[in-house]
Amino acid sequence: MDSLIAELILLRKRVATWILLGFWLFMTILFGYVLPYYAYKGDIRFRERGGQVLLTTLLPHNLVTNLLSGFPFFGGTIVLILGVLAIGSEYSWGTLTPAFTQRASRLKVFFSKILALAITLVPFVLLVFLLGFIASVLIALKEDQPIDLPSAWLFVRALGISWFILAAWATFGVLIAVLSRGTALAIGLGIIYGLVLEGVISEFANEISLLSYISKAFLRTNGYSLLSSLGASVTGEGPGSFSGSLVSGTQAGLVLALEIVVFIAVAATLIKRRDVAGSS
Amino acid sequence: MTDNIVIETKALTKRYRPGIVAVDGLSMNVKRGEVYGFVGPNGAGKTTTLRMLLGLVHPTSGDCSVLGHKPGSPEVLARIGTIVETPAFYPYLCGRDNLKVLARLASVPYSRIDPALKEVDLLDRAQDKFKNYSLGMKQRLGMAAALLKDPELLILDEPTNGLDPAGMAEMRGLIRELGRGERTVLLSSHLMGELEQICDRIGVIKKGKIIAEGALDELRHGSRLKVKAEPLARAQELLGAMPGVGKIEQDTDALMVEADPASAAAINRSLVEAGIEVSELYMMKLSLENVFLDLTEENKQRG
Ligand SMILES: Nc1ncnc2c1ncn2[C@@H]1O[C@H](COP(=O)(O)OP(=O)(O)OP(=O)(O)O)[C@@H](O)[C@H]1O
Ligand SMILES: [Mg+2]
Repeated sequence: MDSLIAELILLRKRVATWILLGFWLFMTILFGYVLPYYAYKGDIRFRERGGQVLLTTLLPHNLVTNLLSGFPFFGGTIVLILGVLAIGSEYSWGTLTPAFTQRASRLKVFFSKILALAITLVPFVLLVFLLGFIASVLIALKEDQPIDLPSAWLFVRALGISWFILAAWATFGVLIAVLSRGTALAIGLGIIYGLVLEGVISEFANEISLLSYISKAFLRTNGYSLLSSLGASVTGEGPGSFSGSLVSGTQAGLVLALEIVVFIAVAATLIKRRDVAGSS
Repeated sequence: MTDNIVIETKALTKRYRPGIVAVDGLSMNVKRGEVYGFVGPNGAGKTTTLRMLLGLVHPTSGDCSVLGHKPGSPEVLARIGTIVETPAFYPYLCGRDNLKVLARLASVPYSRIDPALKEVDLLDRAQDKFKNYSLGMKQRLGMAAALLKDPELLILDEPTNGLDPAGMAEMRGLIRELGRGERTVLLSSHLMGELEQICDRIGVIKKGKIIAEGALDELRHGSRLKVKAEPLARAQELLGAMPGVGKIEQDTDALMVEADPASAAAINRSLVEAGIEVSELYMMKLSLENVFLDLTEENKQRG
């Protein structure tokens, strides 16, 4: 308990945590509500092409499906950075030395950090849904549309799945930070991997069967598969769109769970075994 | 026997990668209640040894035990306060919050924090972010962190690094104070003069090996006789043939002679009897700094 509190202090008092949270909320509301609504109101061409469909997706009834598509994409990338910073900075600052010489064992410190990250992801999920709810209600009021909420069961599953998708990305960040013993390379490669590599390979995967096999293990493939099992539309255009083929929700859930376990286990093993000798 | 020995290493060895032997079959022990100085030039392996004693670095071979246990276990760490190399803290936290984090990891109540800050005279800057501290303040925060657990063993790696002369003197005073009574202190430095004022016993490390170890007086025992005489060459010849005289070195216009202080009168007499004019002859108490340079130099020539 003590070491969990220590790790929570470290995350809570760090400005970067709040910047990442703020950025994530800003992006989700901007791309999820502000820009689509602006397009609906202001852009005649857009209106002619399907304005009514667009308005429906912005209403409270569609809160869940409208918000979800950002999670496996930029949401994932943002919490990947959070995961990298949480452990990678300890290497850059040399603070593993004091952390590992107090009393708590290395594994206790590490798992406290993982747990603290897991807790920190909760507001990343809840606040997005809260702001999304406010935005959709405002739009409904403005447009004289009904304020119907999604079913409670869908809502609960959506919260759980969003947290789970973020958890996979954050633990991936933890792993690459431990592997690279720092932040810079891990953040750079993590972003390229998440935003570019997975996307490009998934595109080719439709033609090359080996790649299609590999892409079934991707964080994004499985994330989008989970979303689509909730009824969210994940194909189409725009920054959050995904062109790879999807798998069943159950398979996606199992694969992601397995990956989280592997990421944590590999990182924990390295943390336990490696020498802590300066900033190397 | 083990009850009295707080730290014991046997043939402790650390090889970082092929070719780099940081610590090379090092054996030493530190007794309860003493202040043990660990001195050696840059790169001698001091920090690596201390890291092994804290369980941070895994030895390649050899054994070590700290407070009767394997290094790095929680029971042992709970009884040790430590500074390793430059003080490392979370830069975005203030001094006090940094200590809160460490106190949590050590399962020590927050009530220990302010007394520790006061001890190192940092209480009025406890609110400031660590990244804005001066090097000396960082070092003092490191010392405060080491004191949080009220530890029975302090392992301090160059704790005066970066302090100004007044700060150094203060830190030395604090360490001497802390080393009183039952508490054991293992202190590293590359300044022998600094350890001389604090330590009960000293181990000199060079290229990963202990090349001399002992109480201050034991190490100092090689005191020198300074002989100024005319002609110097004949004096050297004569002294070289005398029983009880060790190494003779020429130092511009005088000879530095390794000899028992009690034999000074006899030496003087035989020189004068041989017709040599002796203008100066006195005992020079070597400072430990000289002993240290001597030891490390000697080793360099051999190696
Ligand atoms: N993480 C590491 N990887 C490889 N070599 C290392 C590592 N840490 C230390 N060394 C090497 O081990 C040797 C001993 O280093 P160490 O830091 O223990 O010396 P030191 O006595 O503390 O020196 P100083 O007085 O400069 O602090 C050096 O040759 C150093 O280059
Ligand atoms: Mg060192």
